[in-house]
Amino acid sequence: MSFIEARGVEFSYSPEEEKVINGIDLKIEKGSYVAILGHNGCGKSTLAKLLCGIIMPSEGQILVDGLDTADETKSFDIRKKCGMVFQNPDNQLVASIVEEDVAFAPENLGLPREEIRKRVDLALQTVDMTSYSKHATYKLSGGQKQRIAIAGILAMSPECIIFDEATAMLDPTGRKEIVAAMKKLNREIGITVVTITHYMNEAVEADRIIVMNKGEIIADGTPSEIFSQVERLKSVSLAVPQVTELMYLLEQDGHKLPRGVLHAMDAADVLEAFIGGVDK
Amino acid sequence: MLKDITFGQYYPGNSLLHRTDPRIKLLILVEYLVFVLIASTELAMAATLLFTAFIIAVSGVRFGILIKSVKPLIFVLIFTAVMNLFFTVGEGEPLVAWKFIKIYENGIRNAVLMLLRLLSLVLGTSVIISFTTSPLELTDAIESLLSPLKRIKVPVHEFAMMMSIALRFIPTLIEETNKIVSAQKARCADFESGNILKRIKALIPILIPLFVSAVRRAEELADAMECRCYHGGEGRTKLNVRKTSAGDIVFLVAVTVFAVSVFFLDTVSWSEVTEFCRGIFSK
Repeated sequence: MSFIEARGVEFSYSPEEEKVINGIDLKIEKGSYVAILGHNGCGKSTLAKLLCGIIMPSEGQILVDGLDTADETKSFDIRKKCGMVFQNPDNQLVASIVEEDVAFAPENLGLPREEIRKRVDLALQTVDMTSYSKHATYKLSGGQKQRIAIAGILAMSPECIIFDEATAMLDPTGRKEIVAAMKKLNREIGITVVTITHYMNEAVEADRIIVMNKGEIIADGTPSEIFSQVERLKSVSLAVPQVTELMYLLEQDGHKLPRGVLHAMDAADVLEAFIGGVDK
Repeated sequence: MLKDITFGQYYPGNSLLHRTDPRIKLLILVEYLVFVLIASTELAMAATLLFTAFIIAVSGVRFGILIKSVKPLIFVLIFTAVMNLFFTVGEGEPLVAWKFIKIYENGIRNAVLMLLRLLSLVLGTSVIISFTTSPLELTDAIESLLSPLKRIKVPVHEFAMMMSIALRFIPTLIEETNKIVSAQKARCADFESGNILKRIKALIPILIPLFVSAVRRAEELADAMECRCYHGGEGRTKLNVRKTSAGDIVFLVAVTVFAVSVFFLDTVSWSEVTEFCRGIFSK
C-alpha cells in the first residue's frame, strides 16, 4: 500500500467558492522524493495541507499510512507520521532558543526527558546545527531558521515531511542548504519527501514530479519525462530548467538532440558529443 | 530605537544568575522589588545599591548592554527626579527660593533617592530576569509557580504559552515595523513633523499593515504548531525541567535575610547612625 493515497479529492474553502482542488487521485510511495510543481494559485499549497491533515477534503478521501485524515481521532497519529515545513521561517518557530524550539514537538508528544534530549540532539546533528543549540532563533539567517524548522519536525521522527515552498523566502545560499537537507533526509534516512515548489532546479532533484494546474494534476512522471514536454509546461505558465530550455531551443532550430536533459554537466556531454558528431 | 528596549532580550551565558532556577529568580525578584521600594533612608538605599551592584556583577552582562537598556528611560528618570526636586515641600528654610520655585533640602534627597530607586528597579529587573532568563524558562517558571491555580480551573498553561509566543515574536514584529516604516518613508510618509495629532495619524499606515501581518503570522503559526502535535498542556513533557538545587535555596535564603535587614536598616535614619558612631568614638 502507498504511504499517502488520495482518492477523488476535492476541496473548496467555502461552499460558494470555486473549488481549489478539483478531483485529485494520487499515490505517494514510502521513501520516495516527490516534487509538486505549479504556478501561483494552482492549489499546490492547499494540497499539501490536505495531505498532512491540517484541512479535510470536501469530497473524496485521503489516507496517510492507512489512516483517514477526516477521522478526528486519528489526527494526532497522522501528524506524527507526516510533518510539514512551511514557507515563512519566522512563522513556524515557537521558541526563542534553538533547542527549545526543536524540543517543542517531542514535548507535545509527552515523551520522557532523556528521549527528548536524544531526539533534539540527533535532529540538530542531521541538519548540521548542533553548534547553534543554545542560540536565539531570531538572530539566525533565513536558511538556518528553516533548518531549525526541519529539525523541529525531525524530532517527531516522522515518516514523511512535506515542504510547502520551504525555499521561497530564502536567498540562493539558504535555498541550497535546504535542498541539500531534503536530499539528505530522503537518501540517507529514508524519509519520504514531498516538496512543493516553483523553482525548477529544485524539482529536478526529485525522483518524481507532479505538475498541477487549476486544482488538477496535469502531468506526473520522472523529471526527464516531465521536462521533455516543454510546450505543455509553458502552456500552464511554468518555466523549464535553463539547461532544458537551451536544449529545447537548439532542437527548435533543427538540431537533433535528446530531450529531457536536466543537469548542466549532462548537457555539456550531450553537446560535446553532438558537436563532435557534426565535425566528423 | 525600539530594538534597544531590553524586554525579552535574552543574552545567553553561563553566569551564576543564568544557572539559578528561574522560579527562585522570580521569588528573588519579588523580594528585590519590595526592598527597593521600601528603602527610604540613606543606609537602606546604600544597601540596596550594593545589592544591585552585586547582582549585576554576578550576572556577567556586559556594561554597555546595561547602559543601552537604561537609555530609553533617561527622560522618565530625569522627569521624576525634577518633579521630586521641585514639588517636595520640606521643613525649614528652602535652599533656593526664586519666584515660585522653592527647593528644599528634602527635595534634593527625594530626587536622588527616587532616581537611584528607579535605576535599581530597571537594572535589577533586567539583570535578574530579562538578560539571564530565556523567555521560555521564564514562562515555564511562571507556569510552575502558578500551577496550583490549575485546580480552580485557571488556564495557566494557555497563559504561559501565549506569553512565550508573544515574547518570541517581539523581535520579529520590531523588525517588521522597521521595514514598514522604511517602506512608508520611501512613499514620502512624514512621521516627524506636525503636531501630536498629526503624528498619531501618521502612525496609522504603520499599524494597519503590522496588524494584518500579525494576524497572518498567527494563522500560520497555529498551523505549524498543530503540525507539531500541539494539543494544549495536557500530557506535555519538558526538555528542560529545572530542579531547584541546594545552591538556589541558599541564594533565596540569603536574599531573604538581606531583604529583612534592609527592612530594619530602613527604620534607622542617618542622624541616628552618626549619633551612634559619635557615641562609639567619644568613648
